Amino acid sequence: MYRIRFHGRGGQGIKTAAQALGTAFFLEGFEVQDAPRYGAERRGAPIFAYVRAARAPIQERGVIARPDAVLVADETLVPVPAAGVLQGLAERTVLVVASSETGETWRERLALPGPVLALAPDEAGGPLAGMACAGAAARLVGVIGRERLEAAVREEIGKLGAAVLERNLAAALAAYDALAPHAGLVAEGAPVAAAGYRPPEWIELPRDTAHFAAPDIDAPATSVAAKTGAWRTLRPVIDYARCNRCSWVCGTLCPDSAIAVDADRTPRIDYDHCKGCMVCLAVCPPHAIAAEPERARAEAAE
Amino acid sequence: MSEAVIRSMKDLPSTHLLGTGTAMCAGCGGLQAVHEIYDVLGGRTVFVNAAGCMTLLATYPFTPFRGGWLYTSMASAAAGAQGIRDALDVLMAKGRLPIEEDLTAVVLAGDGSSYGMGLSATSAAIERGLDFLYVCYDNEGYGNTGQQASGATPLGARTATTPRGQRLRKKDLFDIWVAHRPAYAATVIGAEPLDLAKKIERARSIRGPRLILALAPCPTGWEFEPEHAVEIGRLAVQTGLFPLKEYVDGKVVHTRIPRPRVPVVDYLAAQGRFRHLFEPVRDDALIGEIQAEVDAYWRAVG
Repeated sequence: MYRIRFHGRGGQGIKTAAQALGTAFFLEGFEVQDAPRYGAERRGAPIFAYVRAARAPIQERGVIARPDAVLVADETLVPVPAAGVLQGLAERTVLVVASSETGETWRERLALPGPVLALAPDEAGGPLAGMACAGAAARLVGVIGRERLEAAVREEIGKLGAAVLERNLAAALAAYDALAPHAGLVAEGAPVAAAGYRPPEWIELPRDTAHFAAPDIDAPATSVAAKTGAWRTLRPVIDYARCNRCSWVCGTLCPDSAIAVDADRTPRIDYDHCKGCMVCLAVCPPHAIAAEPERARAEAAE
Repeated sequence: MSEAVIRSMKDLPSTHLLGTGTAMCAGCGGLQAVHEIYDVLGGRTVFVNAAGCMTLLATYPFTPFRGGWLYTSMASAAAGAQGIRDALDVLMAKGRLPIEEDLTAVVLAGDGSSYGMGLSATSAAIERGLDFLYVCYDNEGYGNTGQQASGATPLGARTATTPRGQRLRKKDLFDIWVAHRPAYAATVIGAEPLDLAKKIERARSIRGPRLILALAPCPTGWEFEPEHAVEIGRLAVQTGLFPLKEYVDGKVVHTRIPRPRVPVVDYLAAQGRFRHLFEPVRDDALIGEIQAEVDAYWRAVG
């Protein structure tokens, strides 16, 4: 059975990518299962989707814990623990990252034992990165023909109109063609039998009253523990030389309460929680806020 | 009525009560309004949240609020507020809750609930004179499940269930409330924070059933880039499509009369949900109809 997981952000077409790959497998005569898993169900929030495909009926259910391949449409998710990109990666798992860096760079950075491939941005299709990952996966399993992939994309995207279909087809097929040297790199994983199941090593906690066991229940504004800054691909940066200390525009209009204004009227952006919506940039009267791509910042930091 | 404290932009709160880290979309116009409302309303509140996008504000064990939160079905938020109000009154009558620790029951509900299934319970609560504040964040569709049409979806808008554009009229929830002769009713929008803050201050000083109807520009459901959330909100007001007004002491007063009114085309063309009105062929008849309805509204205002 093939077990393949796609990771990306809401809006990158991760759910659709899994559906397209699933349909391509189906057209090749496989039994197929595909499902998306949303957390926040929000544009920009980490999501994943997974596909199982086998020649026999599939009895397995639930999230794929031991993937044969993991495809990542957005490289900024790799270091985000909550996104779970690296969960269950084994020596035989093929990791594909849509990135301008090489697979070898990613392999060394993550100290992974298995093969890592990169889909260069032109192959990854920019905003169609999800569909490019579907094309890449179709090639890597080595059992899906180019015309089946094309038919699957037509089936999933066709209803959205000719222009959208053409762009998606181009993204899927470009990635499919680019990975020709690696056709068949992803091998089917062994069946998982219930007999071999080992429970995870968890710690048994005694039952206590809610006040003791979960003191956060009564605490105010605990949502700050959720670092939504990980959603951001662009970072708003205030040029304090241009900021006219109006004291209210960005701080009030930031939907996420992520900008507070000091007593001396200086606004401070909370980057742990700023989702990068850029409302502050759009509304700042003296245009004192600029957008810096997080990717460029990360590269500069290395 | 107590003297208003907020007179100018400089009086708007510079730090925020609502916690960061919520799961709302980047650029959410609903969250923008809710944080502005909460900053003025204060933490001595119990939120009764009908199922909808904002349900995701408080996902155990996290909450952005500083007080209690009760989750109800879509139809029963106003009934939930009655239960909270009664419980507080009973506790105070029995001397188990000091009078000064009383809380305000606040319903937080989307348009799906407020214009549709929750309307019956709400109507009954107003009829009983329940002392509560009802906050409706209106993004003109069932946003949490992928923007299906609701009773608030405006004429012409494309949603998941009106793929060729909504042919029905948006209900007038403000007028439905006013017909009940409530203690207070007002329309607000996060993009006009001073107008909003003044209305929340007034609502806070009144007892009885009170409506705050907040138009919530929705990047995901209305199809615009998150950074334009404020611009879209301002256009809704400047075109006259969303009148800012309040009902107090038996009279409706417009708090902002847009002069001159911006043509509705500017608002419509900025959102993907109205794209079919412009391409492949421009639908001048429908655009003209939308403009004519706005014109007729303001003619009647005088």
